[in-house]
Amino acid sequence: MAFSVVLQKAFLLALLSLRAYQNEVFDEPIQLVPEVQNVSTSSKPQQVNLQWTVPNLAHHQELKMMLQIEISRIKTSNVIQVVNYTTTVKWNQVMHWNWKPDIPLECVKYFLRIRGMVDDDKFLLQSSWSNWSSWQEAHIPVSLEPNTVLVFPEDPLVEEGSNITICSVYGRNQHNVSCYLQEKPIPGEQLDSHVSIFNLNNVVFFRDTGTNFFCNSIDTKLEDGIVLFVSKVLEEPKNFSCETQDFKTLNCIWEPGVDTALAWKQQPPQNYTLFESFSGRRKLCNKSSCDWQITDDSQEIYNFTLIAKNYLRTRSVSVSFHLTHRVYLKAPHNVSLEIINTTKAHMTWKVHSRGNDYTLLCQIELLCEKEVIHEHNVSVHMSGDYLFNDLDPDTEYKASVRCADATHFWKWSNWAEKTFSTPEAAPSEALDVWRIVRSKNGSRIVTLFWKPLSKSRANGKILFYNIVAENQDKPAKSKHCSIPAPASDTQLTLDQSSYKLHITANNSVGMSPETILVLSRESGNQEVVEKRINGTKDGFLISWEPRSRDVISYIVDWCAHSQNQLCDLQWKNLGPNTTSTIISSDAFKPGVRYNFRIFEIPVQGPVYLVEKQTGYTQELAPLESPEVLTSNLTSHSFTLSWQGYASQFQAGFIQGYRVYLKSKEMHCHSGWDKVLLSDNSVCCNYDIKDPKQKIFTVENLRPESDYEFSVRSYTSVGENQNATFMMVTTPDEHSHMLLKTMLPMSLCVLLIMVVCYWKSQWVKETCYPDIPNPSKSSILSPIKYMQNPHLTIMNVKDCIPDVLEVINKAEGTKTLYTGAGKLHAENVTKLPPVPTEKDSCGPVPCIFFENFTYDQLAFDSDSHGHVPGPLKDILCQLGPLTPPKNLLNVLGNSNMKSLTGSPTEETSLIYVSQLASPTCGDKDSLTTNLPRPVHCSEYKMQMAVPPSLASPALSKNSDLSSMILLGKGEP
Amino acid sequence: MDLRAGDSWGMLACLCTVLWHLPAVPALNRTGDPGPGPSIQKTYDLTRYLEHQLRSLAGTYLNYLGPPFNEPDFNPPRLGAESLPRATVNLEVWRSLNDKLRLTQNYEAYSHLLCYLRGLNRQAATAELRRSLAHFCTSLQGLLGSIAGVMAALGYPLPQPLPGTEPAWAPGPAHSDFLQKMDDFWLLKELQTWLWRSAKDFNRLKKKIQPPAAAVTLRLEAHGF
Repeated sequence: MAFSVVLQKAFLLALLSLRAYQNEVFDEPIQLVPEVQNVSTSSKPQQVNLQWTVPNLAHHQELKMMLQIEISRIKTSNVIQVVNYTTTVKWNQVMHWNWKPDIPLECVKYFLRIRGMVDDDKFLLQSSWSNWSSWQEAHIPVSLEPNTVLVFPEDPLVEEGSNITICSVYGRNQHNVSCYLQEKPIPGEQLDSHVSIFNLNNVVFFRDTGTNFFCNSIDTKLEDGIVLFVSKVLEEPKNFSCETQDFKTLNCIWEPGVDTALAWKQQPPQNYTLFESFSGRRKLCNKSSCDWQITDDSQEIYNFTLIAKNYLRTRSVSVSFHLTHRVYLKAPHNVSLEIINTTKAHMTWKVHSRGNDYTLLCQIELLCEKEVIHEHNVSVHMSGDYLFNDLDPDTEYKASVRCADATHFWKWSNWAEKTFSTPEAAPSEALDVWRIVRSKNGSRIVTLFWKPLSKSRANGKILFYNIVAENQDKPAKSKHCSIPAPASDTQLTLDQSSYKLHITANNSVGMSPETILVLSRESGNQEVVEKRINGTKDGFLISWEPRSRDVISYIVDWCAHSQNQLCDLQWKNLGPNTTSTIISSDAFKPGVRYNFRIFEIPVQGPVYLVEKQTGYTQELAPLESPEVLTSNLTSHSFTLSWQGYASQFQAGFIQGYRVYLKSKEMHCHSGWDKVLLSDNSVCCNYDIKDPKQKIFTVENLRPESDYEFSVRSYTSVGENQNATFMMVTTPDEHSHMLLKTMLPMSLCVLLIMVVCYWKSQWVKETCYPDIPNPSKSSILSPIKYMQNPHLTIMNVKDCIPDVLEVINKAEGTKTLYTGAGKLHAENVTKLPPVPTEKDSCGPVPCIFFENFTYDQLAFDSDSHGHVPGPLKDILCQLGPLTPPKNLLNVLGNSNMKSLTGSPTEETSLIYVSQLASPTCGDKDSLTTNLPRPVHCSEYKMQMAVPPSLASPALSKNSDLSSMILLGKGEP
Repeated sequence: MDLRAGDSWGMLACLCTVLWHLPAVPALNRTGDPGPGPSIQKTYDLTRYLEHQLRSLAGTYLNYLGPPFNEPDFNPPRLGAESLPRATVNLEVWRSLNDKLRLTQNYEAYSHLLCYLRGLNRQAATAELRRSLAHFCTSLQGLLGSIAGVMAALGYPLPQPLPGTEPAWAPGPAHSDFLQKMDDFWLLKELQTWLWRSAKDFNRLKKKIQPPAAAVTLRLEAHGF
């Protein structure tokens, strides 16, 4: 058996050799027909694997062949693709060829066949295509029920931007199946009665959990779906580089780009592999860096390839370098600084070097307040040093150093830093000092101002300022004071002697050069004319005429806040040859006047005021309107004045004033212009062009007319807009005449009244006595004599009684009064009460005057004229008395007691008695009616009335004479 | 406890055991014992809290799955989710459930659901989602403990899982990702339905247990005497 096999093989070999020989001889093409061994399919990923051999190859023969594979879909005649490829075939070797179908294998059938042609130089003979192999079917069968719908391929993985075809297979009972990519309906293409395909082009990444593709049956019931996993496109690693710090490890880094990982392990994150071609080593790295161990010290050149890979794509990037060209040194170490003096420091450091043969370049930086102030490069081997010069005293510095390979510069190392501070030194600059001198009570008050030294000049913390006032005339009277920092001004009170002021700033190390100010006896504040200048928003250009040649410097001073009480003196020190300067300040504001003074500091002699200049950076319209006073108002004119208007504090130079006048007639006199105001009202305007004129008389007015006026100041920019109109009314033309007559007349009347009041008693007694006494009445007497020369005595018949009252009962307690409010000055004639006692009046009625007034003031002041008789007598005359109810209420019991109480209390009452001689009637008739002479005196009934009640009562009473007479009492 | 009918020794042993454990049964510990009422109330509160918590978690997770799973009216067929315990039950059947059965069904359902949920957590791709799921699993574990506590308080034994029926979250090689997403959807939906049902269950139980005197009767019934 074995022998026969060997024999058979030998025969075939001989046959093949013979055929080959025959081909060479007869020049016929060789027919090597590939034979398909197997066709296998896979669903995930969708793939067809064709296995074939060339069966009639010679033993151990290798041939380069060209292969052609024809692929048909659904049926063999429907060729969709022809693939050509070349490969080397070997004897007895199964060849593989993979193909990815466009439509999933579950949905359609594919057919494949293959043929070959020798394409090898060893065979000089002409070759041709072999015959085709037989058709091979490639398909994945699915079990499909009549009511089901299936979608393929299952969970495909594609790259973003690629195209994919999805198919759905449905049973015979399923029609009108709709498919969606997420929410979007996808139109299908009917491939046959139960297969639809859906072409998705340029697919987009939505989320790492994939994009859902699903199909619904007609009743919107979900039947099946797949998850389309769209991977982002793997990017090529960027900025791939390798370097070493210690020649032991190469550290390679790169920027990986987007992560292409997908959920549920559909695709893990892309992996990175580092491959070195010279050593052939390979290392799996993490996402963005890789440490490569240098195992062979002799290897100097490296060729790295970084390979990024995911399921769909591979990307690679290469770099080749010499190891010594990729040295990234470690930061220098052992950095130290030695402070030599206030301006010098010495820095030393060490470097991580491979030895003295290697030269390194080191960069040194000196930083002050985070700014690089010095930079220098030095070459070093193992260690380096550097001397910092020209440092500022009392300053903190940061020294930094970094190094790199000097021969093949790759990258600077990290910085190594050290902070140090220089010690303090004495201040290096004299203070900039200026002064204000004021005279007060024969002495001078000198206020010194100085600008604090800058940090670079102070050279340390200024502790105090020393001021020595050296009296040039009397050296013994020199003064010294020390002002602690941070003061920037002080006040000295000096006499009128010449002084030399020495001012220094002091820190812990020493003092600054001194500043000398000379104060001579003369004030130096000469009167000079103020010049107006125009400023700009950038400041003021100040220029002046030099006075003499021997000048140390010029000083321009001004107040930063000219409108405030606090001046905030500013000054600028200028060189001797300067005749102009620009004063600029952020504090300058538009509409504020700034006054500049230019002083000359001569070599000898006092400070001299050269010029005064004033101006605005920008003039504005006045903000403040004048406060106008009116005076001299006549029927035809009035005068306006605004003397208090401070024009120097306005928002611009006042150029004049405008007087506006409104009236009903709207007629403007000469010199006045008719203008239209902003509120569309028309008025007359008079322009006062002299800013010093602050008084103005408005004339040619009509009497008894209303005028409205307003005074507005104006500058070059305009007038102030917030002025208001004030009203004035001209008086009547004759009113002054009336005033001229009425005033004297009123004065005369007043004078008469005063005189009458002063001599009231006399007048009363003379002209109108209570009881006319012919013997006394000197004034009336001539009149009476003139009227009736026969009568010398007033008869009772002549008395016409006003009231008659008949009292039948002697013990009556009737009160006689006519009203509570009219107690005073009521002259009531009554019948007297019937007397019950012996000494009382008889029953004969008598006429008397009743006066209810009682002046409490008289009691209080003890200034009564005379004390009347005992009250008993009065009671006797008046009978029982009941006080008026209203008065009782007011006065209370105490006053009533005085009227009705015991006789001991009577003395407390002071009566302004109106007792007169018993002349109430005809004496004769009285004597005839009465059994004996009756003291039928006329009593004025006296009652206690408090002053508070007395006054209103008086005011209500029209009987002025009675009030005056009684109120003041007897003289 | 394994009891055989007719085994008097076994019955005696059981009785002795029960008597031995009587002081430990909260239902009989009358000295200041509030009964199972508060624990039922707490369990009820926990179901309401979990309902709220799940609403937020499900929203996040369904967005993570993408459309159509996050659409409000999405109702896929219950293809691979047949193994999930169903919460829906006929109303009459639900009413006729006794307390023990009611609690047992709850306990068994959450035991299964918790197991599935832990599988879901393992599959989640984002760290934030994993944190949320882990937090919810912890809460659900707490609910399971509460149900067990109520059952113990009422004297019911915990159901023993039958060997081989332990649910496993193994999609298997044939399980497509689309079906997996449908399973996830159904898991969350079923969980939501169960929490809703449990709230009803515990509310019913709460009302029923209100008179604490019934606790002794319930306990005896639970032990099958």
